[in-house]
Formats: sequence, C-alpha cells, structure tokens
Amino acid sequence: MTKIKEHNVNSDFAMNFGPAHPGSGNFAIKVEMRGERVLKATADPGYLHRGFEKMMEYREPMQNAVMSDRVCVLEPLQWNLVHAEAVDYLMGYEIPDRAKHIRVILAELSRIQSHFIWYAVLSLGTGFMTGFNVAIGYRDYILDVLNLITGGRVYPAGYICPGGVRKDFPEKAENKILELLPKIDYMRKFMLKENPAWLARFKDVGILTKREAIKFGATGPVLRGSGVASDVRRDDPYEIYDELEFEIPVMDEGDAYARFNVGMQEIEESMKIITQAIDRIPKGEVKTPNLKPTVKFQQAKGEIYIRNELSRGEGAFYMVATGQKTPYRVKIRGPSFTHMIPIVEHLLTDVDYADVPAIYWSLYQCPADVDR
Amino acid sequence: MSRKDKQNKNKSIEEKLIKDLSLKLDTTVHYQKERRLWISINPDQIVETCSKAYELGFEHLSTISVTDWLDEGKHEVTYHLWSYSHNHLLTIKTKIDRKKPIISSISSIWGGNAETCERECHELFGVKFEGNPNLTPLFLEDWEGPPPFLKDFNWREFVKKDMYDQNNPREKVYFEVKK
Repeated sequence: MTKIKEHNVNSDFAMNFGPAHPGSGNFAIKVEMRGERVLKATADPGYLHRGFEKMMEYREPMQNAVMSDRVCVLEPLQWNLVHAEAVDYLMGYEIPDRAKHIRVILAELSRIQSHFIWYAVLSLGTGFMTGFNVAIGYRDYILDVLNLITGGRVYPAGYICPGGVRKDFPEKAENKILELLPKIDYMRKFMLKENPAWLARFKDVGILTKREAIKFGATGPVLRGSGVASDVRRDDPYEIYDELEFEIPVMDEGDAYARFNVGMQEIEESMKIITQAIDRIPKGEVKTPNLKPTVKFQQAKGEIYIRNELSRGEGAFYMVATGQKTPYRVKIRGPSFTHMIPIVEHLLTDVDYADVPAIYWSLYQCPADVDR
Repeated sequence: MSRKDKQNKNKSIEEKLIKDLSLKLDTTVHYQKERRLWISINPDQIVETCSKAYELGFEHLSTISVTDWLDEGKHEVTYHLWSYSHNHLLTIKTKIDRKKPIISSISSIWGGNAETCERECHELFGVKFEGNPNLTPLFLEDWEGPPPFLKDFNWREFVKKDMYDQNNPREKVYFEVKK
C-alpha cells in the first residue's frame, strides 16, 4: 500500500485508477489531475500480495512447483518452468530430451494465449468489446489443449516440475497442437488488422525511449518496442532454444503501438518454435530417473539465478539451498515489477486521462507478478 | 560452425571477460556456470562497484535481493546485473550487519528501478538504503510489526495470534497443526 509522498501542487484533485476498476486489473494507480490532464501518477501495488517468497521457504520443491503457477495467472506454465529450472540446477538433474521439448512447446503455447489476453485487455481498455470477445474465445481453443495435456485449463498444478514434466503427452496431443496453429494464425491476422480507431488510440502515445527503457529495467516486448533487440531465449538460452530458429521482432518507435505490435509479431515466432519442436520431439522418458519419487532437496547446496523469457519479459528465480528440505531463500523477479512501478509512473506524467488505459495496458502488466 | 567449436569460442571469450572484469573491478571474479559470474565486495564499495559495472556494460539491473543469514548475524544483499553487450550475468554480493542493516543506495545509477527494488527490500527485510529518496511502504497495508521476511519472524504464530480465534469451531483446526 503506497501513500502519495509529495502531492503535485498544481493538481485540483487526486483519484484512484483501480484496483477494482474494470479496466485496471487488481492494481491501483493514484492519479493527480488538473481537469482532464494527469499531472502525476503513483503506482499502488499490494492488492494481490501473498508473500510467495516467504511461503516457498516453508515448502518442499514439489509443493512449490504447484505454487509457482500462481505467481501469474496469465502465464502459469512459464512460471512453472523457471521454478523447475532453478531446482534442476541445484539438484544437478539431467533433463531427458523429450521433456525439454514438451517444456518448450507448452511454454510457447502459454505465451500465445497470454498475448491473446493482451489484445483482449487492450480492446477492453479502449472500448472495443468485439476484440475482447473474439480474443478470449480463441484463447479457449488453446486452453482446451492445455487441459488435455496438463489436466488444468488455466492452472497446470505444477505440470512442468523439477526433473522434467509430470506426465507424457496423451495420445494424439501433437496432432491437436498442430490443428490449433491455423486458428492461432487466423486470430493473429485479426489482431494485426489496422483500423483508424485503433491507430488513433495507440500511435505516438506513451513513448519510452531506448535509453529510458534500459535504465528503468524494461524487458520483453516493452524493451523490444523501444528498439533493443534482446531476448533471454537467444541471449541466455535455456532448454532447447539454442537449437531452434526464430527471429526477434523489434520496433524503434517506443510507443504503445510499437509494444503491442512486437507482441503480436512474436506469436508468429512462437508458432515457428512449436512446429520445429514437434518435428524434432524424440521418444523416451519425460522425467529424470533420479527423481524418486520426490525431490531430495537436502542434497542441494548453493544458489542460482535463473532467467527465462516470459510473455511479459524477463522472469527470474533466485534460489538459495543450504541442505534443508526446503529452500532457504527464494526471490522472484517478475517482469511487471519494473513496468508497473517506475515505468508507469514515468509514462503517466502530463498525459490526457483518456490515454491512461492505452498506456497502462500497453505495458502488458500482470498485477500478480508485481505483488507476488 | 559445429556446436563444440562454438562452445570453445564462447569459453575463450568468457575467460577474457573474467580477466578484464577482475582487473577493472579490482576484485576476484568467480565463475559459477555458463554466463553466470559473481563477486563479493565490502558494503562501503557498493556504489563505486555498481557504477564501474554499469560503465563496463552491465546496464540492466535485474533485481536486488536480501538473504537473511540468521546464524551468522548478517544480511546478504545481492545485486543481479545483466549485460546486453557481453550477455553475462554479474551477481554482486555484500554482507551487512544484521543489527545495523544500513547500506548506500544505488538509485543514483539506476534511478526509479533501483529505488523500487530497494523499497521492497526495505519493507520486507528492514534494510535501510541511505540516499534513497523514497523508502515508503510498497505492498503491506498499515503494517507496524517487524519486517515480515526476516527469518526470526514467525508468521505462523503471528497469524494464529492476530487472525484466528481458537474458540471458533471453523478455525480451531489451525491450532491443532503440529509445528
């Protein structure tokens, strides 16, 4: 809970944007206004603070795998993956090739459905309800496949667990995923259709320069929308990403439209990754044989900082093990933490109130990973 | 280029980087694994080391974290920096006294990003960052107790005492759980 430290002397009144506003998600911003103009904004996180870092210090890695879904509702499989990789390193697990492929396929499907939500909330924030309905509808096709594979539509309950994945693909899952791709492609083209109303809301709004983006710690589509070609999957590869071919979309404008556009272009790259991974997927085990049946975390000693490219940017786990059943310290770095506190406060200075939802959602926020 | 050649080339670049960094940061740079390096410094050198690292290309402050080493009586503050040019992560570790947890702020280098990360550490661990202009509470609402992420803060006891009623039949189960 943040209180405004110093009020802007020129403002007439202050009000809350969120946390129960339909267009804000569970996150609040206190805006100080003069007429229709926002003079200053103060981010107010904490509405979803659950203290996961502390809770994980009291639980064993397999329990934490289930909890890691909940770090962000919109991309749970990717959070599963970061957590699993941290434990894998500390335990020295060799992950079977098949499991690595399954992990990548699921992470990319999760990225695509998360990008659909991004389009949905951008539409919702700017009063384009059709876009919201269509995107959420198409997202459901992906959720059906995730349900088939992991057993949960939204939360996979730690499907990607330390040592591999919990279960192998069910029969014909590969075909089901390939059948999804035309549907995803249709939705991608729908989202990229340029209409004048959309351009008017997002073009030249909320400009973040390259220098500012680096200094404020922006990552993911926000950083790439400001002209920095950086992607953890390429620069700091994990799983099988260094063996796959994909491009990194970059735009130089740095406005809300560029950020959104980079995200939409990423869907095409994710589809390429999925096709390649399905082509190459080998047969075999999906769990390391050392896992019997739970993680013996007492053997782990040391620490690791694991970074992954999530839909929103760089997500990381810092885990310290001291030979106890549970991790000694867990630190979770959510990508929205920098986007939604320093960057949103910087961008929402001296703008029209009507632009607030456009800027706010173009930062692709997830309040759950800010608060953790 | 085959995968093995690529790895060998990366290895030699890495060795050169470690040598270079050791010289310029004036400390031993340790190698943890591929693309992960770490150094350990005195707390009073933190601003100087961070600004040197920034100039050497470690421009992205990924996060700041605190580990509470209760037995040792120290807080370990870790700074995770990523370099877009070298593609390496540099972890800077420093230990401060647990009873007097004060360290200089690096908000002069990373501005709002460092300020927010430090605010979080201040709220959850009670570490005071000297020079940070804004250390107001971030997540917790009207919290007046000790910093909740400290190892000696027993949150189970706290929750029982303040949130649950032993006489309430729906809540008494929490009092029966063995520690």
